[in-house]
This record gives sequence, structure tokens and C-alpha cells, in this order.
Amino acid sequence: MKKPLKPSDISKKSDCLCRIEEGELAPLPPPYEDFNQNIPTPLKAEKTGNIETSLDNTVAIGIPRPASKEEEEALIKQFLSGLQKLFEKENNWTFLQPLLLSLEHCARCQTCSEACPVFEMSGRQEIYRPIFRSEVLRRIYKKYIKPGGKLTAKFTGDIDLNWEAIARLAELSYRCTLCRRCASVCPIGVDNGLIAREIRKLFSQEMGIAPKELHDMGTIQHLKTGSSTGMTAAAAKDSVEFIQEEMKEITGYEVEIPWDVEGADILLIHNAGEILSWPENVGAFAIIFQAAGLSWTLSSETAGYDVVNYGIWYDDVQLSRVAVRHADIARRLKVKKIVIGECGHAHKALTVIADRLLTGDLNIPRESAMVTLENIVMSGKLKFDPQKNDFPVTLHDPCNVVRSMGIVEPQRRILKKLAPRFREMTPHGVDNYCCGGGSGFAIMSRYNFAEWRNLVSSRKKFLQILKAFENESPETPKYVCAPCSNCKGTIRDIIHYYRAEERSRLYYGGLVELTVNALAGMKKPIINFGDKPSWE
Amino acid sequence: MGYYILTYLCLAVFITAVGRLMYRHLTIPVHLRWEIYPVQGEPADKVSYGGSYMEEMNWWEKKRKSSRVNEIFYMAPEILLMRGLWKENKRLWQMSFPLHLGLYLMLATFLLLSISSVSTLCGFAEDGGIMIVNGLSVATGWIGLIAGVIGSTGMLYKRLADRELRDYSTFADYFNIVFILIFFLCAFVAASTVDPLFNASRDYVLGLFSAGRAVPAYVPGRSLPGALTIILASLLTAYIPLTHLSHMFMKFFLYHRVKWDDTPNRPGSPIETAVKKNLEYRPTWKARHVDTDGKLSWREIASSAPKEMK
Repeated sequence: MKKPLKPSDISKKSDCLCRIEEGELAPLPPPYEDFNQNIPTPLKAEKTGNIETSLDNTVAIGIPRPASKEEEEALIKQFLSGLQKLFEKENNWTFLQPLLLSLEHCARCQTCSEACPVFEMSGRQEIYRPIFRSEVLRRIYKKYIKPGGKLTAKFTGDIDLNWEAIARLAELSYRCTLCRRCASVCPIGVDNGLIAREIRKLFSQEMGIAPKELHDMGTIQHLKTGSSTGMTAAAAKDSVEFIQEEMKEITGYEVEIPWDVEGADILLIHNAGEILSWPENVGAFAIIFQAAGLSWTLSSETAGYDVVNYGIWYDDVQLSRVAVRHADIARRLKVKKIVIGECGHAHKALTVIADRLLTGDLNIPRESAMVTLENIVMSGKLKFDPQKNDFPVTLHDPCNVVRSMGIVEPQRRILKKLAPRFREMTPHGVDNYCCGGGSGFAIMSRYNFAEWRNLVSSRKKFLQILKAFENESPETPKYVCAPCSNCKGTIRDIIHYYRAEERSRLYYGGLVELTVNALAGMKKPIINFGDKPSWE
Repeated sequence: MGYYILTYLCLAVFITAVGRLMYRHLTIPVHLRWEIYPVQGEPADKVSYGGSYMEEMNWWEKKRKSSRVNEIFYMAPEILLMRGLWKENKRLWQMSFPLHLGLYLMLATFLLLSISSVSTLCGFAEDGGIMIVNGLSVATGWIGLIAGVIGSTGMLYKRLADRELRDYSTFADYFNIVFILIFFLCAFVAASTVDPLFNASRDYVLGLFSAGRAVPAYVPGRSLPGALTIILASLLTAYIPLTHLSHMFMKFFLYHRVKWDDTPNRPGSPIETAVKKNLEYRPTWKARHVDTDGKLSWREIASSAPKEMK
């Protein structure tokens, strides 16, 4: 049996602090038992080179080890300087109060642990316990930042600060999906998800350490080229033109997608990942908006066609820059509101978080596409035939939309009206489980991280999906409705990794596709199960 | 008189520490929104499933509905009965609840003794209502002491016996529980042996209100358990707000200022004024994409491009 780790072990010299052993992960039911012995493939030294892997032999960031003692000391100094800044209003007015409250009032009662799907599914690996990383930060803060901390450390919880501790803490902040289930059950209100994000922020804003997918290829590329996918405005326009043609071919519906219409009521901003990976989502929005006679537009300005804001996961400065860019585009287009497409983190970033960043004429109203869609479906303007969606459907709740925004019922009202075989997952709504791709995990795949995600952080969602359809025949096609690009990408990867299309006939897609699939008068369906149309 | 001075000093520490905590959190900059639903301030129909005003089409054009009553109905059992812990962690609740109940009832007993003492000073000692207050203080005192002894013993046992709690407990955590347990034990022994009807306790509180000059103000030191109880109760009062035990009242901020703070930033609102002020702060973060050496404000940085793009 493994010796349980304690927070102070974070600074222990060892090649690997925690290794998941075969058979430790939560078991999967038939016909997936053959995956029960799978673990993330150990990284080989020749592949990782000088990269720090000593947390759990999984790499999210890829931090190079310091070359000398002097370099190590400089990094520790930099870390402490960043930690100090987390507690200064000039540097961290954005989250100073929530951070202080969560750091100073935890009773270490462990109630949060039982709510965390990563901890549970990993076979209760100590380092993934929500309080583990928080306690590490708390002890470092008390010992190295608070006056007299070194004298009182034996009393308040001792910890040594060295390179191992810092590098592991950075990696460990990327083993939490920031789903905040732990915070929702904490009797005191302590938020370990917030602490994980603050750790990420310290590393990014002070030390320039962040996963490449989030920073270099994420927010920087987004602000520079217009999209975190690397897609330029010209490419986006080309793709959308192609989508128009494809919609005509797939559904028989002729749609005109408007660009840069000044004074339109709605500026619709998609996650640009939809344009690349799920063009039917973009097409379905165009069809339903056009059919409902809405006044709307897309924007071809840099970042105006990509609503993502990866800053929400790791960096307040980048978060602010992207949010201001989005708001400024809407302001210049003179639209009445921004409607955010099916992208969960963008919902939260632009609607909730940016709410206290945008002032004056930048404070353009923002609305969830689920609310807009519900209004269209329930208004009676359009006719629908729910029998076209006569297949089992379940709904995945994106954490950022439900738990962080309280948008719970509009999507359900649509499904109850248009999907006769809709059933809930257990639990659902604000008690949902993350898809496992939250906080950037969906787009992070260097080294063995994607495998870790499929095996550990997405495992609970996979079990939930299987449970929701347990009474259906394996031959029946089943639809997982995931109204969020990152959740959708994660569910796509789960289905692929576990070969669930072959074994359980699992398919996935968005909410708007289901809506258009039931739209009366459509010549052909927009949803297909493999190469078979969902209705004839 | 030394006992009275100790109690006064400890009360002063308590008031100063609580005041400092409150002041810090009342004057801290307005932070970005980070609420978690259900937000209990939403109307009842929304609270039932965790919905928000953002489910409404064009919500910004409508008058916002919120409900303080819902918040109170939620917080009362949360504070008094620890409903959240009962729901999520029943095994811990079995010990944590009696401990907290013991502390609440000690506070209630002190308040009842204070009412009685003030009434005595005002010449209403024989009043029927005061007799009821005195009777109540005996009931709250005894129930509180029994609950406190059971709860603090149980919590100490749990912290020591449960590996998951033990590995995250610091010396301070054990010290806190042992401190509370010793206080409850001393008070229990004092009540059992020399003060079953809390008359001496009442006299001590009367002495506190009269600086020891009123008759029949208690002369501390008449019994060892009584003297220890006075010392420990005073020290515990000063100690609580200096530790994480202050979560008992700081929970207000954790809930109302973070978890349930979904107040939108409407044009011209106090929130907007606060945000404008925040945006003028000049950060000194050092990473390449933000490094401005404190020369640019958040507003300027948010409107600028990162260095990587230049």
C-alpha cells in the first residue's frame, strides 16, 4: 500500500511524487472493462529531456529544470515576489478578497474531497485532493509571506520551499478543472478552485510560466491573428462561406451569413473552434436566426469571430485584454447586444467576469445563446417537429454556464419540447460534473496530458453518460447534447478514446443542431449518426 | 480585580481583532464576480434549481428581483444547525455540530447573564422576566457545556483518528481544539461542583458591568475551576478572531461577498464607480506580457497589446 502523502511532501526530492498504478482508477462498467488497467503512459526521459515531471509523471506545462543553484534561487525569489503580489490590491484587486477569505478560513474538514471527480476517479490520489494544493500554498504564504512566518511555521504547518515544490505546485494547479464543485459543497464557502487559478496566475503573470496552448498559442495568438485556432479573418470568412454552401447541401436550406453589419441587433460570436471542427453548429445558428427573422451579424475584426477567452483559466491581464477587445468590437459595430455562441468559458468570461472590467460604453449587454434560442423556440414563430429527434438524448451541463452563471433551465425547456427521449444525467444542473476538459484541459495535449484527461479527469463524465443511456440497446444511436465547444471536444475525445461509437453508438453535438434538426420544413436532417441521417 | 482586567483586555482584543477583520473586508476593492449558483438572493423559483436573472432575455432592461428573505431562510439553519455540513459530511457533523452548539450556547448564556446583570444594576433583580432569563441562562449554560464537552472531545478524537483529517492538521488545529476542550471541561467542573445555577457566573458578569464594585459582584478565585474558567473563557474570546476559527462570523463575507455576489455592474451604479477606481491601480507583475514597471494602469494595460506581439 502506498504511504499517503502530506502537503509538506511537495518539496521532497524524488523522481515522481505520485504514480497512478494499474487498477487504481475507478472501474468502468461493461463493455469497457478492458480499459480498467490503463494508466497514463509513463514519460520517457529522452522525450521529456530537461522538463520537470516529478509531480505525477504527467506534464501540462513543461517547465525546464534550473541549470544551476543560482538559477534555482532566482526562481524561488521570483515565485515569492509573485506570491506577495497576489496579496496586494494594486496587483490583484481582481480576486484579492476571495483569495484571502479562502486561504484564511479553511477548517480542513475534507468535505470538498468527496465532491471532486478528479480525486475520486484517480483512485483517491492524495495530490489530487482539492485541499492538497491549497494547503501547500497556504503554508508557503504563512511561512514566507506573513510577518514572523518562519517563527510560527511549526505551529501553523511547516513546509520547505525549493525548486521541486515550486515546479510541482505549478503542475498541480493544472490537475484541477476549476469546475468548483468543491466550492459549492464547502460549508464555509472556501473555494479551492479559485486557489488553483490564483496559483496559475502567479506563475503566468510574474514568471511567464503557462501551458503553451493557453498563452503562446492561446491568448497571444488570439489577440495577434484573431483566433486561438490561428485562423485569420480572411480564413474565417472563407470557412463561413463554405459552411453556407454545406448547409445547402446537407440540409437543403439556403442561408446567408451576415458579416460586419453596423447597427444589427445582435453580434453573434462563436468559439472559432466551431468554424473549424463543427461547422454544422455555425450553420445551424445561421439557419435558426435567419428563420426567426433576427437582425444579427458576425464580426470579421481581429478576435471578433472568436469568443474564447483563455485568460479566464490562468491570467487576469490576458483575460482583461480579450474581454475589452470583444466589447470594443461590439461598441464600434453599434449592436444592441452580444450573443455568445455555445462556448461555456466564454459565457462566464464575457458575461460574468468581465462585468466588473467593462465600464461606460464598453459595457455592452451580453446574453447566452441558450436564452436567445429558447426565446425563438418558445415564441411560436417557428414550427418544430419533435419526432425528428426521436432518439435518446442526454444533456451535459457546462460548469461555466450552470454553476457559474445560473443558466440552467432554458436549454432544458428546449430539449423537453424538441427531444421526446431526453433524459437527465445524475447529478445534473448546478450539481453537474465537469466534462473533464474544463479550465483549458480540452485543448491541452502535449506529452501525455490528453491521455491523463481521458483516463482521469473525464472519467466521471464518461460514467455519467453511460449511466444515462444504460437502458438503451447498444445498437441505438444516442446523442450527448453538449452546448459548449470545449466540453464537446472533450466528449469527442472520450468517445474516440474508449471506442464508444463502436461499442455504445454514442454521438455528440450541440443544442442548436438539435433545434434545427427538428425545424419543420427542413428537407434533410442536420444531425447524422455516422453516415446515417437521423431522420429520412 | 486582576481577573476583571484580564477579561476586559481580552474583550478589547476580541473587538479590535474583529473590527480589523471587518474593516479590511469592508474596504477591500470590489473584486471580479465569482459567484456560485444557487445564489440564495435570487427569487424562490430560481433558487429551487439554481437559476439566475441571466436566464431572462434582455435581463438588463428589467428591474432586478432579489430576495433577502431567501438569504435569511437559508443562512439561519446554515449558521445554527450547520445544514451544509449535515448535507455533505454527516460523520463530521456529528461532532462538529455539538462543538459549535456549545460555543453558540456559551455566547447565549453570556448574553442572558448580561441582561440579568444589567437588570440588577437597574434595580429589576426581582422582576419575573429576569427570573425567566436566569432560568434560561441555566438551561443554555448546561446544554452548552455538555454539547461543548462532547463536541470538542469528539472533534479531537476525529482529528487524531481519521487519517484524512490528521494529515492536514497542524499543531495550531490541535491547539485550538484542546484549548476549547479544556475550557469546556473547566467550566463543566466549575458548574458541577460550585456553580450549578450559574449564580457565581452571573455575579462575575455583574462585576464586569460594574468594574467589580456592584454587590453582589463575584470575587474571583473562590474556587480553582471557577478561576480557571474565567481565565480560559477570557483568553478564548481573544483568541478566536486571531485564528481560522473566525470563520464562524467571517462566513458572512465568504457567502455574501463572494459566493452569492451576483450584483450586475449597471451604468452609473456604485459598482461601476468602484470598478473605475480599480482600473486605475498600477500593477507591477513582471512576466513579459504584462511587465510595465508600475507605469501603466489596469485600464491602459487592458487596452494594450502584450509585448510578445510587438
